[in-house]
Amino acid sequence: MGSALATQRRNNHQSLAPELPRDFLGISLPEQPNKYYFIIRGQRIVLEADSSIQTIMEKLQSYKSRVALYFEGFQYQLGDFQLRVGKVTPTHSDNLRGIIMEVEYLPLSSLEKSRQVMEEFVDIWQEAISKRSLPGHFMHIEPSFVEYGLSDHYSSQHTAVQYATVMAQLIATQSVQAARN
Amino acid sequence: MDVKHPLSIQQPMQLQEPPAAASQNPNPPSSTDAPPKQVALAMERLGQASRLIADVRLGADRLLEALFIAAVPHQRNKPLQLFVKEDASMRQHLQDLRSVGRQLEESGVLNETLRSRSNSWGLHLPVVCPDGAVVAYAWKRQLAGQAGASAVDRTRLALKAFTDQKRRFFPHLDEGQDVQSTEPASKKHCTSKDLWLNYQEELSDCKTLSDILTRLEKEMLNLKVLTYERLDWFKRASSLPASASENPLDTSKDHGFHSLSKLRTVSQSAAATDKIAIIELFFPSVFRAIISLHPAGSIDPDAVAFFSPDEFFLTLSLGDDSGWSGCLVWKTSKYYKSEFDSNLDAQLHFVDNMFPFIRQQGGSYIHARGFSVHHVFRKISEHAAMALQHFLGVSSRTALYSIVHWICCYQTLFTKVCSKCGKLLAMDRKSLLLLPPVYRPYRHFSTLQIASTQNNSLAKDQGLENLGAFHIGCFTEEL
Repeated sequence: MGSALATQRRNNHQSLAPELPRDFLGISLPEQPNKYYFIIRGQRIVLEADSSIQTIMEKLQSYKSRVALYFEGFQYQLGDFQLRVGKVTPTHSDNLRGIIMEVEYLPLSSLEKSRQVMEEFVDIWQEAISKRSLPGHFMHIEPSFVEYGLSDHYSSQHTAVQYATVMAQLIATQSVQAARN
Repeated sequence: MDVKHPLSIQQPMQLQEPPAAASQNPNPPSSTDAPPKQVALAMERLGQASRLIADVRLGADRLLEALFIAAVPHQRNKPLQLFVKEDASMRQHLQDLRSVGRQLEESGVLNETLRSRSNSWGLHLPVVCPDGAVVAYAWKRQLAGQAGASAVDRTRLALKAFTDQKRRFFPHLDEGQDVQSTEPASKKHCTSKDLWLNYQEELSDCKTLSDILTRLEKEMLNLKVLTYERLDWFKRASSLPASASENPLDTSKDHGFHSLSKLRTVSQSAAATDKIAIIELFFPSVFRAIISLHPAGSIDPDAVAFFSPDEFFLTLSLGDDSGWSGCLVWKTSKYYKSEFDSNLDAQLHFVDNMFPFIRQQGGSYIHARGFSVHHVFRKISEHAAMALQHFLGVSSRTALYSIVHWICCYQTLFTKVCSKCGKLLAMDRKSLLLLPPVYRPYRHFSTLQIASTQNNSLAKDQGLENLGAFHIGCFTEEL
């Protein structure tokens, strides 16, 4: 199973409204096959729409796809924890852009109540990983869900926002590395 | 989604057993039977009774299922046939149950003398599980204890007679010696007994159910207490959970359930209190605990279970009746589509396409003897069952008060680190699961309760924090 994330850049039509966003992120999640999510990071907007919105957007031609990433891997169950580990690749090539791991604690839905449990799990994970001397390390950036208007109760919109943050992070590190080379 | 119920093929085999067994043994046990044989007979009959009760429960479930099917349009004859069949088998079960009950009464297991004796010994009715298993330790002890008790009584009388005679005929031997109590072991506990008596007095105002729950609501912040009659609970459990942002009390108003505040304000609430059989303790975002009372309206808890606050109330079961299961799945998914939230909708859609033989049943595993799908809550439920038995064994009068306060200690479940190893998550060696500290000690819980009630300045919440939390591996029995 995999998630697909695409950035779309606005076509350079004559724009009447200059404050329209230049680009946005679109994401589809495996646990929500009928939905498509839009995220505009600059303005902290997340939108949940039906998956048919993609065909509408194609027909409108106001935005075109710039970069599309595919997150694909395996799902594991460790007691009450559900893990998804996968690789991040652009849609039509095999370059590995990174490795993604999604941790879900099934019994709880509250961000606040599960915070300690999640942090401790990640600590245990990092400790186990450090013994393996893998190149690179896992980074977790928690986006500010409140700014996106999301509540304490976890939902797929939270997931979409997290993926958007991850994507931005990937692109940022990629361009830094490209600049170095 | 978890597949929770066993295959329905197995049920018919069970249906046939009890009637045959009940008719085989009509003669009452002779009084010349040795106590062990009486115990064995009584145990066997209790086993039969519990199987019959399980069958009655299943029959009730099937009747409700048939009602459910009847509510769906386009079904004609099937529900009627089911009703008739179930009606006949239910009547037979109830008849058999009555005859087993009569036999138990004749053998002296259920009559008044034993019941009053059982109260004075602090022993309780056996726990009957939904799968028909009987946890009959207390009864077995009691019945076997009759034989033992007579020996103890005789010894005690003999010792008393001896000391009396010794005092009468050999007074000089008694000088300088205190009169020995016939129960020297109790001396060790006399100080804790005084405390215990004070504790009992302290709780003398908590005699009724509403007293206990009122006091609890006052003492605990963040806790929502809801009470239900048994059938109301089934209805609620079969409906979908409210979304997290909805206040559970609002939901209860919509569906007409009894909430505690309603009980206090409505004038004809006295009758309703008598029928309360289920108490739900809800700590939002942490857990939901269900306590079952038996009999309804009393303060005798008989089962407790923990669940996730967002656990789904709907179960899926494998349908065996290929004749109508396909039709039902289609109808049901259309029926539910408008009511489910988008997440569940997608999952059911997936399930419907992948497993066309699954029958979606309007039942529920969320009840006081059910088990959560999450390991953490399953472990807590197991531990809570032991704690409940302990509290019942210590004093049946304060058992509900104790178990309810003990449950409230779990509000720190996902935040409090283990008192032994100092970490939140630990790997349980036996089950290879990462779990937070799921054990809370219960053996000396009453002592801690006494300490906190005497120290009025300490809020109940804080008092209970001193209890400590332990991982499964960090917990030892002495705690």
